[in-house]
Amino acid sequence: MKTEITRDRIFNIIVQHTCEVIPELEGHSFVETDRLADLGANSMDRAEIVMMTLESLSLKIPLIELVSAKNIGKFADLLHEKHQST
Amino acid sequence: MKNISPPKILITGVGITTAIGQGKINFLAAILAGKDAFARLNRPGRQIADANNVPLVGCEIDNLVIPDRIATRDIRTASWSAQVGVTSLDEAWRDAHLDDVDPSRIGLIVGGSNFQQRELVLIQEKYADRAYFLPPSYGMAFLDSDFCGLCTQYFPVTGFAHTVGGASASGQLAVIEASEAVASGRVDVCIAMGALMDLSHWECRGLQAMGAMGSNRYADRPSLASRPFDRDRDGFIFGESCGVVVIEKGDTADRAGVVPYAEVLGWATRMDGNRKPNPSQVGELSVILASLARAGLSPQAIDYINPHGSGSIAGDNTELSAIREAGLSSAYINTTKSLIGHGLTAAGAVEVVTTVLQMRAGVLHPSRNLDNPIDSTLNWVRGESVTHQIEYAIALSMGFGGINTALCLGRN
Repeated sequence: MKTEITRDRIFNIIVQHTCEVIPELEGHSFVETDRLADLGANSMDRAEIVMMTLESLSLKIPLIELVSAKNIGKFADLLHEKHQST
Repeated sequence: MKNISPPKILITGVGITTAIGQGKINFLAAILAGKDAFARLNRPGRQIADANNVPLVGCEIDNLVIPDRIATRDIRTASWSAQVGVTSLDEAWRDAHLDDVDPSRIGLIVGGSNFQQRELVLIQEKYADRAYFLPPSYGMAFLDSDFCGLCTQYFPVTGFAHTVGGASASGQLAVIEASEAVASGRVDVCIAMGALMDLSHWECRGLQAMGAMGSNRYADRPSLASRPFDRDRDGFIFGESCGVVVIEKGDTADRAGVVPYAEVLGWATRMDGNRKPNPSQVGELSVILASLARAGLSPQAIDYINPHGSGSIAGDNTELSAIREAGLSSAYINTTKSLIGHGLTAAGAVEVVTTVLQMRAGVLHPSRNLDNPIDSTLNWVRGESVTHQIEYAIALSMGFGGINTALCLGRN
Protein backbone atom coordinates (compact mmCIF):
# COMPACT_ATOMS: atom_id res chain seq x y z
CA MET A 1 0.00 0.00 0.00
CA LYS A 2 1.39 3.39 -1.00
CA THR A 3 2.23 5.81 1.80
CA GLU A 4 0.82 9.31 1.44
CA ILE A 5 3.44 12.02 1.53
CA THR A 6 2.85 15.74 1.68
CA ARG A 7 4.26 18.21 -0.79
CA ASP A 8 6.12 19.99 2.05
CA ARG A 9 7.72 16.73 3.10
CA ILE A 10 8.97 16.27 -0.46
CA PHE A 11 10.41 19.80 -0.40
CA ASN A 12 12.27 18.94 2.80
CA ILE A 13 13.62 15.73 1.25
CA ILE A 14 15.01 17.77 -1.66
CA VAL A 15 16.61 20.19 0.80
CA GLN A 16 18.10 17.31 2.81
CA HIS A 17 19.71 15.71 -0.23
CA THR A 18 20.91 19.07 -1.53
CA CYS A 19 22.75 19.57 1.76
CA GLU A 20 24.21 16.05 1.57
CA VAL A 21 25.63 16.77 -1.88
CA ILE A 22 26.70 20.35 -1.03
CA PRO A 23 27.52 20.36 2.70
CA GLU A 24 28.42 24.04 2.49
CA LEU A 25 24.65 24.77 2.26
CA GLU A 26 24.01 23.47 5.77
CA GLY A 27 22.32 26.37 7.56
CA HIS A 28 21.09 27.99 4.33
CA SER A 29 17.42 29.06 4.50
CA PHE A 30 15.95 27.34 1.47
CA VAL A 31 13.06 29.04 -0.32
CA GLU A 32 10.72 27.82 -3.06
CA THR A 33 12.43 29.88 -5.75
CA ASP A 34 15.95 28.58 -5.02
CA ARG A 35 17.56 27.10 -8.14
CA LEU A 36 20.06 24.27 -7.63
CA ALA A 37 22.47 25.79 -10.13
CA ASP A 38 22.38 29.12 -8.28
CA LEU A 39 23.09 27.25 -5.03
CA GLY A 40 26.35 25.99 -6.51
CA ALA A 41 25.23 22.58 -7.78
CA ASN A 42 26.96 21.56 -10.99
CA SER A 43 25.31 19.19 -13.46
CA MET A 44 26.61 16.09 -11.70
CA ASP A 45 25.51 17.44 -8.32
CA ARG A 46 22.04 18.11 -9.72
CA ALA A 47 21.79 14.61 -11.15
CA GLU A 48 22.80 13.19 -7.76
CA ILE A 49 20.24 15.30 -5.88
CA VAL A 50 17.47 14.29 -8.30
CA MET A 51 18.30 10.58 -8.07
CA MET A 52 18.63 10.61 -4.27
CA THR A 53 15.23 12.27 -4.03
CA LEU A 54 13.63 9.78 -6.41
CA GLU A 55 15.16 6.94 -4.39
CA SER A 56 13.79 8.37 -1.14
CA LEU A 57 10.33 8.51 -2.74
CA SER A 58 10.72 5.15 -4.56
CA LEU A 59 9.65 6.99 -7.70
CA LYS A 60 10.77 5.50 -11.01
CA ILE A 61 9.94 8.07 -13.63
CA PRO A 62 11.72 9.10 -16.82
CA LEU A 63 14.17 11.86 -15.97
CA ILE A 64 13.06 13.79 -19.04
CA GLU A 65 9.77 14.46 -17.27
CA LEU A 66 11.60 16.47 -14.62
CA VAL A 67 13.34 19.00 -16.83
CA SER A 68 10.44 21.48 -16.67
CA ALA A 69 11.07 22.14 -12.94
CA LYS A 70 13.02 25.38 -12.88
CA ASN A 71 13.43 25.73 -9.12
CA ILE A 72 13.20 23.46 -6.08
CA GLY A 73 9.61 24.55 -5.36
CA LYS A 74 8.52 23.52 -8.85
CA PHE A 75 10.52 20.33 -8.48
CA ALA A 76 8.65 19.51 -5.26
CA ASP A 77 5.32 20.24 -6.97
CA LEU A 78 6.16 17.97 -9.87
CA LEU A 79 7.36 15.11 -7.69
CA HIS A 80 4.27 15.41 -5.48
CA GLU A 81 2.07 15.19 -8.54
CA LYS A 82 3.98 12.15 -9.86
CA HIS A 83 3.90 10.49 -6.47
CA GLN A 84 0.14 10.87 -6.21
CA SER A 85 -0.45 9.53 -9.71
CA THR A 86 1.66 6.38 -9.34
CA MET B 1 81.83 19.56 -30.13
CA LYS B 2 81.30 20.23 -26.48
CA ASN B 3 80.01 17.29 -24.52
CA ILE B 4 77.06 18.40 -22.37
CA SER B 5 76.01 15.86 -19.76
CA PRO B 6 72.27 15.47 -19.31
CA PRO B 7 70.76 17.11 -16.24
CA LYS B 8 70.31 15.02 -13.13
CA ILE B 9 66.93 13.46 -12.48
CA LEU B 10 66.08 14.10 -8.84
CA ILE B 11 63.47 13.09 -6.29
CA THR B 12 62.42 16.35 -4.64
CA GLY B 13 59.27 15.41 -2.74
CA VAL B 14 57.54 12.43 -1.19
CA GLY B 15 54.14 11.64 0.27
CA ILE B 16 53.13 8.47 2.04
CA THR B 17 50.14 6.95 3.81
CA THR B 18 50.25 3.48 5.37
CA ALA B 19 48.62 1.56 8.18
CA ILE B 20 51.58 2.28 10.47
CA GLY B 21 51.88 5.98 9.76
CA GLN B 22 50.53 8.88 7.72
CA GLY B 23 53.16 11.28 6.46
CA LYS B 24 56.89 10.80 6.03
CA ILE B 25 57.83 11.68 9.61
CA ASN B 26 55.40 9.26 11.25
CA PHE B 27 56.10 6.59 8.66
CA LEU B 28 59.88 6.78 9.06
CA ALA B 29 59.61 6.56 12.84
CA ALA B 30 57.31 3.55 12.49
CA ILE B 31 59.51 1.59 10.07
CA LEU B 32 62.68 2.24 12.05
CA ALA B 33 60.87 0.93 15.15
CA GLY B 34 59.73 -2.15 13.21
CA LYS B 35 56.10 -1.35 13.94
CA ASP B 36 53.22 -3.26 12.36
CA ALA B 37 49.43 -3.01 12.29
CA PHE B 38 48.35 -6.44 11.09
CA ALA B 39 44.89 -7.49 12.23
CA ARG B 40 41.71 -9.00 10.88
CA LEU B 41 40.62 -7.01 7.80
CA ASN B 42 37.64 -4.83 8.70
CA ARG B 43 36.96 -2.48 5.81
CA PRO B 44 33.33 -3.01 4.65
CA GLY B 45 33.12 -5.23 1.58
CA ARG B 46 36.59 -6.74 1.98
CA GLN B 47 36.20 -9.83 4.13
CA ILE B 48 35.20 -12.93 2.16
CA ALA B 49 31.54 -13.66 2.91
CA ASP B 50 31.78 -17.39 3.35
CA ALA B 51 31.25 -19.12 6.64
CA ASN B 52 33.94 -21.65 5.75
CA ASN B 53 36.55 -18.98 5.20
CA VAL B 54 38.80 -18.13 8.11
CA PRO B 55 38.92 -14.30 8.35
CA LEU B 56 41.65 -12.68 6.28
CA VAL B 57 44.37 -10.67 7.98
CA GLY B 58 46.25 -7.67 6.67
CA CYS B 59 46.60 -4.03 7.58
CA GLU B 60 44.30 -1.09 6.94
CA ILE B 61 44.68 2.65 7.33
CA ASP B 62 42.86 4.13 10.33
CA ASN B 63 42.13 7.76 11.13
CA LEU B 64 43.09 9.24 7.77
CA VAL B 65 43.49 13.02 8.07
CA ILE B 66 42.43 14.52 4.74
CA PRO B 67 43.91 17.95 4.01
CA ASP B 68 41.61 20.96 4.36
CA ARG B 69 42.11 21.91 0.71
CA ILE B 70 39.85 18.99 -0.34
CA ALA B 71 36.19 20.10 -0.07
CA THR B 72 33.76 17.88 1.83
CA ARG B 73 31.46 17.76 -1.20
CA ASP B 74 34.19 16.07 -3.23
CA ILE B 75 35.12 13.67 -0.45
CA ARG B 76 31.52 12.34 -0.52
CA THR B 77 31.97 10.92 -4.01
CA ALA B 78 35.72 10.20 -3.78
CA SER B 79 36.63 6.53 -3.40
CA TRP B 80 38.84 5.35 -0.54
CA SER B 81 41.73 5.09 -3.00
CA ALA B 82 41.08 8.67 -4.06
CA GLN B 83 40.87 9.99 -0.50
CA VAL B 84 44.17 8.39 0.46
CA GLY B 85 45.65 9.43 -2.89
CA VAL B 86 44.89 13.15 -2.61
CA THR B 87 46.10 13.09 0.99
CA SER B 88 49.44 11.57 -0.03
CA LEU B 89 49.70 13.88 -3.04
CA ASP B 90 49.15 16.92 -0.82
CA GLU B 91 52.18 15.97 1.28
CA ALA B 92 54.43 15.45 -1.76
CA TRP B 93 53.17 18.65 -3.39
CA ARG B 94 54.06 20.74 -0.36
CA ASP B 95 57.31 18.85 0.20
CA ALA B 96 58.53 19.76 -3.31
CA HIS B 97 57.08 23.31 -3.20
CA LEU B 98 55.20 22.71 -6.44
CA ASP B 99 53.06 25.83 -6.09
CA ASP B 100 56.15 27.60 -7.43
CA VAL B 101 56.24 25.60 -10.70
CA ASP B 102 54.45 26.44 -13.98
CA PRO B 103 51.44 24.03 -14.02
CA SER B 104 51.88 23.36 -17.75
CA ARG B 105 55.31 21.89 -16.97
CA ILE B 106 53.99 19.40 -14.39
CA GLY B 107 52.69 15.91 -15.18
CA LEU B 108 51.04 13.25 -13.01
CA ILE B 109 51.27 9.49 -13.51
CA VAL B 110 49.11 7.29 -11.29
CA GLY B 111 50.32 3.71 -11.07
CA GLY B 112 47.55 1.13 -11.00
CA SER B 113 44.48 -0.04 -12.83
CA ASN B 114 41.09 -1.11 -11.45
CA PHE B 115 42.22 0.09 -8.04
CA GLN B 116 38.81 1.21 -6.71
CA GLN B 117 37.22 -2.24 -6.75
CA ARG B 118 35.79 -2.38 -3.22
CA GLU B 119 33.95 0.91 -3.58
CA LEU B 120 32.42 -0.26 -6.86
CA VAL B 121 31.36 -3.59 -5.37
CA LEU B 122 29.70 -1.86 -2.41
CA ILE B 123 27.61 0.27 -4.77
CA GLN B 124 26.83 -2.62 -7.12
CA GLU B 125 25.69 -4.82 -4.24
CA LYS B 126 23.64 -2.01 -2.66
CA TYR B 127 21.80 -1.35 -5.91
CA ALA B 128 21.65 -4.91 -7.23
CA ASP B 129 17.85 -5.05 -7.08
CA ARG B 130 17.12 -1.36 -7.76
CA ALA B 131 19.51 -0.35 -10.49
CA TYR B 132 17.32 2.56 -11.52
CA PHE B 133 18.47 4.50 -8.44
CA LEU B 134 22.19 3.96 -9.02
CA PRO B 135 23.97 7.23 -8.13
CA PRO B 136 24.74 9.06 -11.39
CA SER B 137 28.27 9.77 -10.17
CA TYR B 138 29.00 6.05 -10.61
CA GLY B 139 29.02 6.75 -14.35
CA MET B 140 32.28 8.67 -14.07
CA ALA B 141 33.72 7.41 -10.79
CA PHE B 142 34.10 3.80 -12.00
CA LEU B 143 36.96 4.97 -14.23
CA ASP B 144 40.32 5.19 -12.48
CA SER B 145 40.97 8.32 -14.54
CA ASP B 146 38.25 10.05 -12.49
CA PHE B 147 40.88 10.12 -9.76
CA CYS B 148 43.33 11.89 -12.09
CA GLY B 149 40.62 14.50 -12.68
CA LEU B 150 40.11 14.96 -8.95
CA CYS B 151 43.86 15.42 -8.41
CA THR B 152 44.17 18.06 -11.13
CA GLN B 153 41.13 19.92 -9.78
CA TYR B 154 42.96 20.54 -6.52
CA PHE B 155 46.58 20.55 -7.62
CA PRO B 156 47.45 22.65 -10.67
CA VAL B 157 48.81 20.01 -13.05
CA THR B 158 48.06 20.79 -16.69
CA GLY B 159 50.94 19.04 -18.49
CA PHE B 160 49.24 15.62 -18.42
CA ALA B 161 47.66 13.22 -15.96
CA HIS B 162 46.92 9.57 -16.59
CA THR B 163 47.25 6.07 -15.18
CA VAL B 164 49.68 3.26 -15.99
CA GLY B 165 48.99 -0.36 -15.09
CA GLY B 166 51.57 -3.01 -14.34
CA ALA B 167 49.93 -5.15 -11.65
CA SER B 168 52.15 -5.18 -8.54
CA ALA B 169 54.85 -3.30 -10.44
CA SER B 170 52.47 -0.38 -11.13
CA GLY B 171 53.93 1.92 -8.48
CA GLN B 172 57.50 1.54 -9.67
CA LEU B 173 56.32 1.67 -13.27
CA ALA B 174 54.79 5.09 -12.50
CA VAL B 175 58.15 6.26 -11.10
CA ILE B 176 59.93 4.97 -14.20
CA GLU B 177 57.45 6.59 -16.59
CA ALA B 178 57.73 9.85 -14.65
CA SER B 179 61.52 9.67 -14.92
CA GLU B 180 61.19 9.10 -18.67
CA ALA B 181 58.84 12.08 -19.00
CA VAL B 182 61.31 14.34 -17.23
CA ALA B 183 64.37 12.95 -19.03
CA SER B 184 62.73 13.48 -22.42
CA GLY B 185 61.79 17.06 -21.60
CA ARG B 186 58.07 16.41 -21.95
CA VAL B 187 57.65 18.12 -18.57
CA ASP B 188 60.04 19.58 -15.98
CA VAL B 189 58.33 17.92 -13.03
CA CYS B 190 56.44 14.65 -12.97
CA ILE B 191 54.60 13.26 -9.96
CA ALA B 192 54.42 9.48 -9.70
CA MET B 193 51.90 7.79 -7.46
CA GLY B 194 51.36 4.19 -6.50
CA ALA B 195 47.60 4.17 -5.97
CA LEU B 196 46.00 2.44 -3.01
CA MET B 197 44.63 -0.88 -4.27
CA ASP B 198 41.21 -1.18 -2.64
CA LEU B 199 40.56 -4.91 -2.78
CA SER B 200 36.97 -6.12 -2.48
CA HIS B 201 36.10 -9.56 -1.20
CA TRP B 202 35.99 -10.75 -4.82
CA GLU B 203 39.64 -9.85 -5.50
CA CYS B 204 40.64 -11.24 -2.09
CA ARG B 205 38.98 -14.54 -2.90
CA GLY B 206 40.51 -14.65 -6.37
CA LEU B 207 43.99 -13.94 -5.06
CA GLN B 208 43.51 -16.48 -2.30
CA ALA B 209 42.12 -19.13 -4.65
CA MET B 210 45.02 -18.77 -7.07
CA GLY B 211 47.46 -19.21 -4.20
CA ALA B 212 48.99 -15.74 -4.28
CA MET B 213 47.51 -14.39 -1.05
CA GLY B 214 48.83 -15.98 2.13
CA SER B 215 46.82 -18.65 3.86
CA ASN B 216 45.05 -18.45 7.19
CA ARG B 217 47.91 -20.10 9.05
CA TYR B 218 48.40 -16.99 11.19
CA ALA B 219 44.77 -15.84 11.39
CA ASP B 220 44.93 -15.86 15.19
CA ARG B 221 48.39 -14.25 15.27
CA PRO B 222 48.17 -11.58 12.53
CA SER B 223 51.49 -9.91 13.31
CA LEU B 224 53.27 -13.13 12.28
CA ALA B 225 51.51 -13.47 8.92
CA SER B 226 53.62 -11.24 6.65
CA ARG B 227 57.01 -12.96 6.41
CA PRO B 228 58.75 -12.38 3.06
CA PHE B 229 61.88 -14.47 2.50
CA ASP B 230 61.21 -16.56 5.61
CA ARG B 231 60.96 -20.33 5.33
CA ASP B 232 57.43 -20.27 6.81
CA ARG B 233 55.94 -17.80 4.31
CA ASP B 234 53.06 -18.95 2.15
CA GLY B 235 51.95 -15.93 0.14
CA PHE B 236 51.52 -12.19 0.39
CA ILE B 237 49.58 -10.42 3.12
CA PHE B 238 47.61 -7.41 1.95
CA GLY B 239 48.24 -3.93 3.33
CA GLU B 240 46.67 -0.63 2.33
CA SER B 241 49.17 2.03 1.32
CA CYS B 242 49.86 4.85 -1.11
CA GLY B 243 53.17 6.46 -2.05
CA VAL B 244 53.96 9.58 -4.06
CA VAL B 245 57.30 10.65 -5.50
CA VAL B 246 58.08 13.98 -7.20
CA ILE B 247 60.61 13.59 -10.02
CA GLU B 248 62.28 16.55 -11.68
CA LYS B 249 65.32 17.78 -13.53
CA GLY B 250 68.21 19.02 -11.46
CA ASP B 251 68.26 22.35 -13.30
CA THR B 252 64.72 23.22 -12.20
CA ALA B 253 64.98 21.97 -8.65
CA ASP B 254 66.58 25.11 -7.26
CA ARG B 255 63.37 26.51 -5.76
CA ALA B 256 63.54 27.85 -2.24
CA GLY B 257 63.05 25.14 0.33
CA VAL B 258 63.65 22.17 -1.99
CA VAL B 259 66.14 19.63 -0.68
CA PRO B 260 66.44 16.67 -3.07
CA TYR B 261 66.26 13.22 -1.51
CA ALA B 262 68.09 11.24 -4.16
CA GLU B 263 69.13 11.05 -7.77
CA VAL B 264 67.35 8.63 -10.10
CA LEU B 265 70.25 7.04 -11.91
CA GLY B 266 68.84 4.19 -13.94
CA TRP B 267 65.75 2.15 -14.61
CA ALA B 268 64.51 -0.73 -16.70
CA THR B 269 61.37 -2.66 -17.53
CA ARG B 270 61.17 -6.06 -19.21
CA MET B 271 58.38 -8.48 -20.04
CA ASP B 272 58.75 -12.24 -19.68
CA GLY B 273 56.34 -13.02 -22.50
CA ASN B 274 54.24 -14.93 -20.03
CA ARG B 275 50.68 -14.08 -18.99
CA LYS B 276 50.83 -16.23 -15.87
CA PRO B 277 51.70 -15.05 -12.36
CA ASN B 278 54.91 -17.06 -12.06
CA PRO B 279 58.22 -15.19 -11.77
CA SER B 280 61.19 -15.38 -14.12
CA GLN B 281 64.78 -15.25 -12.97
CA VAL B 282 65.81 -14.31 -16.50
CA GLY B 283 63.43 -11.34 -16.53
CA GLU B 284 64.42 -10.16 -13.07
CA LEU B 285 68.13 -10.46 -13.75
CA SER B 286 67.62 -8.61 -17.00
CA VAL B 287 66.10 -5.51 -15.37
CA ILE B 288 68.68 -5.48 -12.60
CA LEU B 289 71.54 -5.50 -15.10
CA ALA B 290 69.87 -3.04 -17.46
CA SER B 291 69.13 -0.51 -14.71
CA LEU B 292 72.71 -0.82 -13.40
CA ALA B 293 74.04 -0.27 -16.92
CA ARG B 294 71.90 2.81 -17.42
CA ALA B 295 73.06 4.12 -14.06
CA GLY B 296 76.69 3.43 -14.93
CA LEU B 297 77.08 1.39 -11.75
CA SER B 298 78.78 -1.91 -11.04
CA PRO B 299 76.81 -4.41 -8.94
CA GLN B 300 79.36 -3.99 -6.16
CA ALA B 301 78.51 -0.29 -5.89
CA ILE B 302 74.97 -1.10 -4.71
CA ASP B 303 74.89 -1.07 -0.92
CA TYR B 304 71.13 -1.39 -0.34
CA ILE B 305 68.38 -3.46 -1.96
CA ASN B 306 64.68 -2.83 -1.46
CA PRO B 307 63.35 -6.07 -2.95
CA HIS B 308 59.90 -6.89 -4.22
CA GLY B 309 59.67 -9.79 -1.74
CA SER B 310 55.95 -10.37 -1.56
CA GLY B 311 56.13 -13.53 0.54
CA SER B 312 55.33 -15.75 -2.42
CA ILE B 313 56.96 -19.20 -2.28
CA ALA B 314 58.27 -19.14 -5.85
CA GLY B 315 58.62 -15.37 -6.15
CA ASP B 316 60.92 -14.87 -3.17
CA ASN B 317 63.20 -17.75 -4.19
CA THR B 318 63.43 -16.49 -7.75
CA GLU B 319 64.17 -12.93 -6.68
CA LEU B 320 67.04 -13.97 -4.41
CA SER B 321 68.48 -16.11 -7.20
CA ALA B 322 68.42 -13.09 -9.51
CA ILE B 323 70.00 -10.90 -6.83
CA ARG B 324 72.82 -13.40 -6.29
CA GLU B 325 73.39 -13.92 -10.00
CA ALA B 326 73.55 -10.16 -10.54
CA GLY B 327 76.35 -9.87 -7.99
CA LEU B 328 74.36 -7.92 -5.39
CA SER B 329 74.88 -10.37 -2.51
CA SER B 330 76.92 -8.03 -0.35
CA ALA B 331 74.33 -5.22 -0.24
CA TYR B 332 72.09 -4.70 2.77
CA ILE B 333 68.57 -5.98 2.17
CA ASN B 334 65.38 -5.64 4.21
CA THR B 335 61.70 -6.17 3.54
CA THR B 336 59.25 -3.29 3.74
CA LYS B 337 56.29 -5.61 3.10
CA SER B 338 57.02 -7.39 6.38
CA LEU B 339 56.01 -4.13 8.12
CA ILE B 340 53.16 -2.79 5.98
CA GLY B 341 52.02 -5.74 3.89
CA HIS B 342 51.73 -5.78 0.12
CA GLY B 343 50.01 -2.74 -1.32
CA LEU B 344 49.94 -4.27 -4.83
CA THR B 345 49.60 -1.24 -7.15
CA ALA B 346 51.02 1.03 -4.44
CA ALA B 347 53.98 -1.11 -3.43
CA GLY B 348 56.60 0.02 -5.94
CA ALA B 349 56.15 3.72 -5.20
CA VAL B 350 55.85 3.16 -1.46
CA GLU B 351 59.13 1.25 -1.52
CA VAL B 352 60.89 4.05 -3.42
CA VAL B 353 59.69 6.46 -0.73
CA THR B 354 60.90 4.01 1.92
CA THR B 355 64.30 3.79 0.25
CA VAL B 356 64.88 7.55 0.03
CA LEU B 357 63.68 8.16 3.59
CA GLN B 358 66.18 5.58 4.84
CA MET B 359 68.82 7.20 2.62
CA ARG B 360 68.20 10.58 4.19
CA ALA B 361 68.03 9.17 7.74
CA GLY B 362 71.18 7.06 7.39
CA VAL B 363 69.35 4.13 8.99
CA LEU B 364 67.86 0.92 7.56
CA HIS B 365 64.59 -0.42 8.92
CA PRO B 366 64.33 -3.88 10.46
CA SER B 367 62.41 -6.76 8.87
CA ARG B 368 59.70 -8.55 10.79
CA ASN B 369 59.28 -12.32 10.95
CA LEU B 370 62.51 -13.08 9.14
CA ASP B 371 63.19 -15.87 11.60
CA ASN B 372 64.72 -18.32 9.13
CA PRO B 373 65.76 -16.57 5.92
CA ILE B 374 65.61 -18.80 2.85
CA ASP B 375 69.14 -17.59 2.13
CA SER B 376 71.03 -16.74 5.31
CA THR B 377 74.16 -15.70 3.41
CA LEU B 378 72.64 -12.39 2.31
CA ASN B 379 73.16 -9.18 4.26
CA TRP B 380 69.73 -8.99 5.89
CA VAL B 381 68.54 -6.26 8.22
CA ARG B 382 66.52 -8.45 10.55
CA GLY B 383 65.20 -7.69 14.03
CA GLU B 384 66.84 -4.31 14.64
CA SER B 385 67.45 -1.24 12.53
CA VAL B 386 71.00 -0.73 11.24
CA THR B 387 72.86 2.55 10.98
CA HIS B 388 74.09 2.75 7.42
CA GLN B 389 74.44 5.59 4.93
CA ILE B 390 73.07 4.35 1.61
CA GLU B 391 75.13 5.53 -1.35
CA TYR B 392 73.52 3.53 -4.15
CA ALA B 393 70.27 1.60 -3.88
CA ILE B 394 68.27 -0.64 -6.18
CA ALA B 395 64.54 -1.25 -5.82
CA LEU B 396 62.77 -4.11 -7.58
CA SER B 397 59.14 -4.75 -8.52
CA MET B 398 57.38 -7.57 -10.35
CA GLY B 399 53.79 -8.16 -11.34
CA PHE B 400 51.41 -10.74 -12.76
CA GLY B 401 51.63 -11.04 -16.50
CA GLY B 402 55.40 -11.18 -16.55
CA ILE B 403 56.38 -7.58 -15.85
CA ASN B 404 59.71 -6.81 -14.15
CA THR B 405 61.03 -3.37 -13.18
CA ALA B 406 64.17 -2.08 -11.48
CA LEU B 407 65.24 1.37 -10.37
CA CYS B 408 68.69 2.58 -9.25
CA LEU B 409 68.93 5.53 -6.88
CA GLY B 410 71.97 7.43 -5.68
CA ARG B 411 72.55 9.74 -2.74
CA ASN B 412 72.41 13.30 -4.04
